[in-house]
Amino acid sequence: MAGTGKAHLRTEDALLRVEDLVVRFPVGRTGLFVNAVSGISLDVLKGETLGLVGESGCGKSTTGRAIMQLPRPTSGSVMFEGRELTSMTGDTMREARTRMQMIFQDPISSLNPRRKVRDIVMEPLTIWKRGTVAERNARVDQVLEEVGIDPQRAAESQPHQFSGGQCQRISIARSLVLSPSLIICDEPVSALDVSVQAQVLNLLEDLKRQYGLTLIFIAHDLAVVKNISDRVAVMYLGKICEVAKSDDLYREPAHHYTNVLLNSIPVPDPEIAVQRTAIEGEIPSPVFPPAGCRFHTRCPGMQERCQNEEPQLREINTGHFVACHYPVHGGEAPVSIRTAGS
Amino acid sequence: MSATAELISADILLATKPPRRRRKFPSLGVVFAFIWLISLTVCTLFAAYIPFIRDYDTQIKVNGKTGRYNLGPGWTAWMGTDASSHDVFARSIHGARITLMIGVLATIMGLVLGTILGVLAGYFGGKVDRVVSIIVDCLLALPALLLALLLVYRMDDLKSVYTWLGWLDRKWEITLTLGILATAPLARIVRAQTMGLREREFVLAARSLGAKGGRVILREILPNLVPAMVTVAITGLGILIAAEGALAFLGLGVERPVTWGKMIIDGRADLKRAWWATVFPATFLFLTVVSFNMLGDRLARRFDIREAAI
Repeated sequence: MAGTGKAHLRTEDALLRVEDLVVRFPVGRTGLFVNAVSGISLDVLKGETLGLVGESGCGKSTTGRAIMQLPRPTSGSVMFEGRELTSMTGDTMREARTRMQMIFQDPISSLNPRRKVRDIVMEPLTIWKRGTVAERNARVDQVLEEVGIDPQRAAESQPHQFSGGQCQRISIARSLVLSPSLIICDEPVSALDVSVQAQVLNLLEDLKRQYGLTLIFIAHDLAVVKNISDRVAVMYLGKICEVAKSDDLYREPAHHYTNVLLNSIPVPDPEIAVQRTAIEGEIPSPVFPPAGCRFHTRCPGMQERCQNEEPQLREINTGHFVACHYPVHGGEAPVSIRTAGS
Repeated sequence: MSATAELISADILLATKPPRRRRKFPSLGVVFAFIWLISLTVCTLFAAYIPFIRDYDTQIKVNGKTGRYNLGPGWTAWMGTDASSHDVFARSIHGARITLMIGVLATIMGLVLGTILGVLAGYFGGKVDRVVSIIVDCLLALPALLLALLLVYRMDDLKSVYTWLGWLDRKWEITLTLGILATAPLARIVRAQTMGLREREFVLAARSLGAKGGRVILREILPNLVPAMVTVAITGLGILIAAEGALAFLGLGVERPVTWGKMIIDGRADLKRAWWATVFPATFLFLTVVSFNMLGDRLARRFDIREAAI
């Protein structure tokens, strides 16, 4: 599971094209690093929804934030709307950031508890001094109504007076005010009740259509991702394992990790006999990631080659890419010259 | 059988009707602290207009003569008189004025300096944080009293050299000194809180909206620091008042008109003969410090601020 390959990047002009993104955080002053993201490549076409899944700590959120340059990635390239973000500084960077927005997992923590909700949603317009005061007011009212929040109530209430689902709607409103082209949703529904999850997801779908948005949808809930995504990338320990169209991925997962993940989705039918290959062990430390394939310590299909040679992303079906030497289906990876020689 | 069960469950339901919710009354200590501080402030501010409080330099004569400790606690002078026949009660009330003023001004100074240092260190981290942390740690590591003594003496020296420092009387010297001392703990807690807030999603959201550093600090971080700052400032106020007393005790007090520390040191030598001249001002000092601590503790619990940082 390397994911260092770029075979899955498409040639068309992508809205966002991430190449070899690396994010490392120093561990105190020990000289060690947490390898949160280790060279992943992604692309998102305009109007597409990319799902990014993986277990906790695999670097999904860090990827999302590194795309926003908050914090800046250690290395790699982020091309957004034809502009390279990693080399931007100062006001250019601030301005470019407004074209993409982020929605966070914790709806309460995403809103400043000491400000009125209306001011929070108004904030982007105030910062950029867009339009007259009347125009700003009209815009805020319009967006608040679109996400289903009463503007009257928002004017006099603080975030804690709203429920989690409403707070998430307010976050969405704030991110929409500047009409961005890309929204990175960082587990936007994980903290919500299932019934509220559905409402917020439907709202996102509606707004996506209405505004012509492109979404990156980060989640650990596979069922949620399946419904909303066009394309899904599976991450493990800072690398990409598998990229495919949502339907393909769910119908025939090729990577052992994806397979195990999909098997772990609970089936709401007591009649169906449980037969799953449970994943064993803990996720290895990102400070000392395993050599070779990063998943080999827990992989049911592990062989010797996996311990030494890092698999590259390769296409096993049209639009279906996997980084695995011995995938569940699709045949063994050709032996690379580099490893064969050494 | 089932009918009995129903009856029983109905009984239980009736019996366990939830008691009427009562509004939680603040603890006795907090109530006392409030009453004490408010009445002390009112008395000291309006002492001149309150009939039962004499002026601080009015001498009480017994049989037409003044005398050392000529009256014990009694009806004429509630807390007796001191070595110069002054009313101890009146002087204790008047003494609060300078003491409270120095405490409040020093706290404000500490708040301003501590917030600036703490926010810069917490928000920007890295080298700025390193520099601020070293300054703060040095201030905290030095014995506070020693530092205060040195600062006051040094300011005395400077004043004799530079004439433009004429305004710097003992009152202001002590205020500045205590303000510097109050900066360190405040900077420390503000730094810790800022570091926590910096990672919160709403700060990230503001930055992704294109807010500049200054705006993020003013709009997103500072308003969320207020509870912590108020809490530490109130607790610190008590400590500063005690410190002012300690300085006065070491002979670095404000000479005129009167402070608690000065009263305690003046009466100390004759403690056996006239306990009231020392014990009453000491009680005023004690109650005031305890009150500020009570309020500070209450606020810390209310806002869930860890004591370790104070």
